[in-house]
Amino acid sequence: MIGNVYSTICPGCNFGCGLYIRENGELEVDFRKSSPANAGKLCRFGMSLPRFYTPARSIVDGRETTLDEAAKEAAKRISSTKGSVAFLSLGNTTCEEHLAFQKLAESFGSLYTGVELGALPGDVHQTLSVGIPYSEIEAAKHIVLFIDPYEQYPLIVRRLLLAKKKGAKITSIWWKDMPLADENLRPADTSKLQLTGDSLIIADFHPLSDTEQVKSLLALAKNAGAKITFLKPFVNSTGAYILSMDAKQKSLAQLIEDINKGTIKTLFCLESDILELMPEAIAKLTNLIVQTGQESAITKKAHIVIAHEPLYKKRGTLINNEGRAQAPGGAGTGGLEALGTIAGTKFDFDSLHESVKKMIGITAVDEFTVPAYERPTYAAPRATAKPPDAKILLASVYNPFMWSGLADDNDFVELSLNMVRALKLLKGGTVKINYNGSLLEKKFKVAPVQDNVLLTGKRIGIEKGAITPVEVSR
Amino acid sequence: MQKGEMFLGWSTKEDIRKRGGSGGLVTSVLAAALDKKLVDSVVVLKKINDFEAVPVITSDVNEVLNSAGSLHSVPSNFAKLIANKNLKVALPAKGCDVRGIIEQGKRNTIKLDNTFIIGLNCGGSMHPTVTREMLEVMYKIRPEDVHGEEIEKGKLIFETKDGKEHAITIDELEEKGYGRRESCRYCTIKIPNNADLACGNWGVTGELAGKATFVEVNSEKGAELLQNAVDAGYVQIQKPDEKGIAARARIKGAMEGLSRKWKEKVFIPMDNRLEYFRKELENCIDCGACKTVCPTCSCGDVSKCTEFHYRGDAYKMSMYHLVRFLHLADSCIGCGQCTDVCPVDIPLTRLYRRFANPVQEELKYEPGMDLRRPPYFEVKLND
Repeated sequence: MIGNVYSTICPGCNFGCGLYIRENGELEVDFRKSSPANAGKLCRFGMSLPRFYTPARSIVDGRETTLDEAAKEAAKRISSTKGSVAFLSLGNTTCEEHLAFQKLAESFGSLYTGVELGALPGDVHQTLSVGIPYSEIEAAKHIVLFIDPYEQYPLIVRRLLLAKKKGAKITSIWWKDMPLADENLRPADTSKLQLTGDSLIIADFHPLSDTEQVKSLLALAKNAGAKITFLKPFVNSTGAYILSMDAKQKSLAQLIEDINKGTIKTLFCLESDILELMPEAIAKLTNLIVQTGQESAITKKAHIVIAHEPLYKKRGTLINNEGRAQAPGGAGTGGLEALGTIAGTKFDFDSLHESVKKMIGITAVDEFTVPAYERPTYAAPRATAKPPDAKILLASVYNPFMWSGLADDNDFVELSLNMVRALKLLKGGTVKINYNGSLLEKKFKVAPVQDNVLLTGKRIGIEKGAITPVEVSR
Repeated sequence: MQKGEMFLGWSTKEDIRKRGGSGGLVTSVLAAALDKKLVDSVVVLKKINDFEAVPVITSDVNEVLNSAGSLHSVPSNFAKLIANKNLKVALPAKGCDVRGIIEQGKRNTIKLDNTFIIGLNCGGSMHPTVTREMLEVMYKIRPEDVHGEEIEKGKLIFETKDGKEHAITIDELEEKGYGRRESCRYCTIKIPNNADLACGNWGVTGELAGKATFVEVNSEKGAELLQNAVDAGYVQIQKPDEKGIAARARIKGAMEGLSRKWKEKVFIPMDNRLEYFRKELENCIDCGACKTVCPTCSCGDVSKCTEFHYRGDAYKMSMYHLVRFLHLADSCIGCGQCTDVCPVDIPLTRLYRRFANPVQEELKYEPGMDLRRPPYFEVKLND
């Protein structure tokens, strides 16, 4: 921190974009042009951080209180429901906090990181956890995208364009044509893909990833001798996955099932807003405890909110998608202290930091160095990914706004001109979307999208996972 | 002391002379302004390393005295930093910073009467990330080993911690895609006579070379600022000799000539402009960073470019960009900030200048160079 300026990392995804946050009564975003991951450049979400960082207030059952009181009350409720408590940390906080939280989870309940690592062979965990350096993306000769780079991980776009300038061919496998791609294929046409040892597959891995799809991508890369890298949606996804690799952890789907069965009654979310991902399950909880640095949809539903400093004021370590160790920017340890109160112990930052460095395999936090991570080979997993057989599909394009529940200017679905013609939709009008009797009317945008697909970058309330079969009409 | 006079000056404090660039005059003038209450605050760059410095607004004289010297790899942007803050402030500024501040003044977000601008001669700045790569690729040195940098006789020289100097001509660097930011290459404002003072090392000759700053007083405020520093005992000044004045003018002329050549090289006339603009903008992700960073834009969140634009529209070129092309045709100062911050590397400054160059030439209007209102401000519905 220099004066009122924090040198920090954008919490929008795991890309590791550096920026300055200036506190001037209100927050201002400033561009940190020396940042190695993004050269100071920011996407829509990064530019929206003053909105994202709305300060949270500590609350117990609707009454405002202090952080300490909220943490003590959380400790009571966790102790009284021991055995039916779930601890969820998706990777939105520092390694040190995540590690302390993991210790807490091991004492009182089960740790959920959201991803289904347990359903995937152990020899692919490292490949899923740590991506390749961005310089390797720029140097690739053939890049195959299984993401929408513009919407999901916008700062990868310039790396792809730089690769293209150097002669790379870019193939996109998506429901929509990508302007930067030399070749646009649809997901159903993956078999037409011609991969070689010079190919690099870029996909993503997150709590709503289809495990069979992940396996099939890993097998695709393995069988062709191609490289594969997974991008991730949370600021410290990589750190969280490395630290929890040997811990017993469960997925988001498992959490929903456990809540629905009644085996989980208390949920403690560390910097993780999953309200939009599982609203029905959240409503069934006896205790929803949220520890966070900023207000969001879930803080309004929580029985207990433990509010501390936001990420840009925290002390600790973040690991970006390449494995670069970065500092979030501040000196605050309020989150760690609250976890100590709940655990009935004191979490010492320095010893946690030493453990983190050892587990990650680094000697210092130096954002200008990409540590050499092991990239073990793996056996091609057996995959049974089935293409969706519905006539019309609604596909969710998960992006930083969606994961954080922050509103964006995208209250529309994208669809093709052929669909517009077939349904006789009117310019400036809406399209009706029906799922199991739930009817929605949405504005639409004409885009080069697969003819039987609607794309949405905003949760519209009828989704069942990444792909939802729907009916559409005028 | 009055407008039009020229001086050579240096700090009276030895440590500032050693640490600051060219005798530490600028740092001392800023500190004196704060110390003697000519202003309430000063903008300084707090150096983190040779490639990063954070601009901060301070009221602490010691903080000013401890601030950075010359940093070519920190393309600052001060106009937006001080806008809408109602400050009585002094600050150092490159030519484009000065132009941005003056344009904000015309738009009533900065009170120019309360703003003391120390202009810095500028041959161009470099993007820090590009500079780091350039050091490794062209100079074969680690960025962490760099101790200092300077530009001399057309060469960019880096000094490493072992005391060695590493020099490559700027022409060679720019041929390989490194060196100055593109907008700096064709910028013609080398000595900022639009600021209250214009300072730099061009024209400092003989024994004083490297130890003093050449100052030109451009306004009554500039005279007040410099006189205050002399009266407060922060700086010493003397008149430059004719040789120095001539050398300064010669360097200025040569630099401006190079800029004009670059301008011709970058802005080659083209056919099918519409297709060119569509292609360049096809990767836009609607982040709005180019507007946020633009030192001449003062509209805030509610503006025509954002209000006329809806992400659900499927136009081949967004209304956001079309409105900005129109707005910037008379107001773009070519600072390069929009290109610097574009997350998908659209060469936005080049696109804006494609409109601005002919319009500003036709209207004989250079934004930020004086207090003339932007021509489009004067357009009425019945015109």
